[in-house]
Amino acid sequence: MASNKKGEKIKEKSKRRPASQWAVAWRRFKRNKAGVFGLIIVMAVFFVGIFGSFFAPYPARPNKDAIKPFYKGDVRKPPSWLDPEEPNNFKYLFGTTPIGTDVFSDVIHGTKYTIYVGLLVTAITMALSIVVGAIAGFYGRWVDNLLMRISEVFLVFPALLFILVFVRIFTLTVGDPFLTIPIINIQIPAGLTIVVVILGLFNWASNARMIRGEFLRIRELEFIEAERALGASNTRIIFRHILPNLLSSIIVVSSLTIAYAILLEAAVSFLGFGDVNTITWGQILQENFSEMRIVWWAEIFPGLAILLTVFGFNLLGDGLSDALNPRLRD
Amino acid sequence: MTENILNIEGLKTYFFTEAGIVKAVDDISFNLKKNESLGLVGESGSGKTVTALSVLRIVPKPGKIIDGKVEFNGDDLLEKTEKEMQKMRGSEIAIIFQDPSSSLNPVYNVETQLRDVILAHQTVPKAETRKKVIELLEVVGIPEAETRMREYPHQFSGGMKQRVAIARALACEPTLLFADEPTTNLDVTIQAQVLNLLNDLKKKFNMSLVMITHDMGIIAEMTTRIVVLYAGRVCEIAKTHDLFERPRHPYTEALLAAVPRLDMKKTLRIIPGNIPNLIEPPSGCRFHPRCKHAKNTCKEKIPVLEEIEPEHFVACHEWQNISLKGERKH
Repeated sequence: MASNKKGEKIKEKSKRRPASQWAVAWRRFKRNKAGVFGLIIVMAVFFVGIFGSFFAPYPARPNKDAIKPFYKGDVRKPPSWLDPEEPNNFKYLFGTTPIGTDVFSDVIHGTKYTIYVGLLVTAITMALSIVVGAIAGFYGRWVDNLLMRISEVFLVFPALLFILVFVRIFTLTVGDPFLTIPIINIQIPAGLTIVVVILGLFNWASNARMIRGEFLRIRELEFIEAERALGASNTRIIFRHILPNLLSSIIVVSSLTIAYAILLEAAVSFLGFGDVNTITWGQILQENFSEMRIVWWAEIFPGLAILLTVFGFNLLGDGLSDALNPRLRD
Repeated sequence: MTENILNIEGLKTYFFTEAGIVKAVDDISFNLKKNESLGLVGESGSGKTVTALSVLRIVPKPGKIIDGKVEFNGDDLLEKTEKEMQKMRGSEIAIIFQDPSSSLNPVYNVETQLRDVILAHQTVPKAETRKKVIELLEVVGIPEAETRMREYPHQFSGGMKQRVAIARALACEPTLLFADEPTTNLDVTIQAQVLNLLNDLKKKFNMSLVMITHDMGIIAEMTTRIVVLYAGRVCEIAKTHDLFERPRHPYTEALLAAVPRLDMKKTLRIIPGNIPNLIEPPSGCRFHPRCKHAKNTCKEKIPVLEEIEPEHFVACHEWQNISLKGERKH
C-alpha cells in the first residue's frame, strides 16, 4: 500500500512542469515584505514618471504656464491643506515656490528625470563594470593587475569633486537644452545627459571589482573545465557560462546602483552644478534653498520624494538579493 | 592488427607555481588501442588527471605542456591550433569528470546543456536536436526524458547528474572517452549502475575508454589493460589480468595489498609515507623512499620502462631480484 502510494506521488510530481528558477525566486521574493514594499514604491515611481504629465496640475517648465502666481502679491503659499486662506485642500498640495510654481507639479515632472538618471547611469556603470570585471577576472595576470589598479584610482578619487568639475566644464558646451535623437524622435535633456554620462563614468569601479571577484570564483568551478573539455571557446565560456551565473548578482547590484545614482544626481543638482533646464528633484531643492526657512515645503517634499525613491530601490535590491541568493540570507 | 587510437610519448606537463615548478606529469608514455579500455591508476597527485587534461590540452594555468607527443589517430594534438583543438574536444575526445554536481552549469536546464554541445559541433535543425537530446537521455537511462530534460541540474540526484554528464560527453559520439573517477562521488549502489552503463555505451558507440581511478576494484572490472602511475611517472603497464596476478613493480604490489578484502584474514596494508613533493621529487626512482626493496642504484638512476614479457612493461631496477605477491585469481 505504502509503496503504491509513494509511487503515485512520484508520478504526479514528475508530470508537473518543473518550476524555472525565476518562478522559484519570485515565490521567495513575495514572502519578503520589505522587498515587496520596495517594489511597490519603485512601481509607483515609474508610474508617476511615465504618466505624470497627464495628471500634474500644471505643465512642466520651461512652459510659461508653469510659472503662474496663485494669488496676487505673495506667491509663497504653504501646502493648501495647511493654508487657512485656501478653502480647497487639494489646490496646491505641496505649496508653491517663491517664483510661483506648484511644488507638487514640479515633483511629478521631476520623476521622469529621476528615472532617466537612475536607469541610464546604471546602464553605463554596469556596462563598464561588466566589461572591466569580466576581462580582469577571466584573463587575470597583468591585465587584471592593470585594470584593478585603475579601479583603485577611481575608488580613492574624491569622486564628487571630480564629477562637479567635469559637469561644469561639459555643461558649458551645451547649446540647445533639449536634443532630439533622430530616427526614434525622442527628446533628451542635453545638460542632464552630460551629468548622467559623467556619473556613469565615475561609478564603475566598485561594481567592476565585485564582478571580477565573481568571475574569479566561477572561472575555477569544474563545470567551466567541463565546458572547455566539450569544445567551448573563451568567448563562449564568458558569455554563455560565466555571465548568466552572475545575472542575479548583476540584477541586485543594478537596483542598488540606481538608488545611488539618483542620490548622486540630486547632490550634484543641489550643489548648483545641474542643468537648469531640467527641473530634477535636486534642482528644486537648489532653487528654493535660500528661502528654506520660510518655504520649507519646497524643500521637504522633493526631499521626501528622493528619500522614498532611494529607499524603495534599496529595499527592492535587498529583497532581490535575498530571493536570488538564498545562501546570503543568514 | 588493431592500431593505436592514442599514442602518448614523453609527455611532460609542469605547473609553474610560485613555490617552484611542479612536475605533475614527467615523461609519461603509453598507448591506447582502438576499442580498448585502459585503466590509469595511481594515488591522488600521481598525474592521472593532468595526463587526461594534457591530451585535451586544457591544463589549467599555471600548468603547461613542456614536451612530448600526443598522437590521436596519427595526428599530434600538441601541434594543432587552439581552434582545431576546440573542434576536437567534445566531438572526437570527451571527458567525464569526478563530481557531477559541479560539472554541470547550474543555470541551464539539461536540454539546453546537451543541445549546446550538439550545436557546437554539428549543424542540425532545432527539432532534430530535441529528438537527439531525448534519445541521448534515454540511452543513459534517464526515465521520462522528455519531462526531465527541462529540469535543472539541482533537481537531479547525484547518479542522475552523472548520467546527464555522460550523455553530454557522448552527445557527439566521440571515439575516445576519458572517465576521470566517474563514480568516486556516488553511492556504492549507484556506482555499479554507472559503471555498467559506461561499459554498455562503450560497446554501443565503439569508443576507446580511459578509466582514471584509484579504486583497484573498478579497474579490475572495467579495463583490459592498466597503466600504473606514481608521482608523474609510469611504473608499470600490463594487461589487467597479469598485473593483478603478477605485479612486477613494488608500488603496484603495495597498491594491490591496500585493497580491503573479505576473503583474507589480514590487516589492511597501507603504503608508508606520502606521495612525494613534486617540486623536488626524489632522485632516481621516485618510489624509492617508500620502497622496501630499494637499493642504492634506485636512489641514483632513473629506471627506464622495459618490456619484460610481451605487453608487460615495468620501470624498476630490481624487478628481477624481487618476488612480489599479486592477488590470487578466484
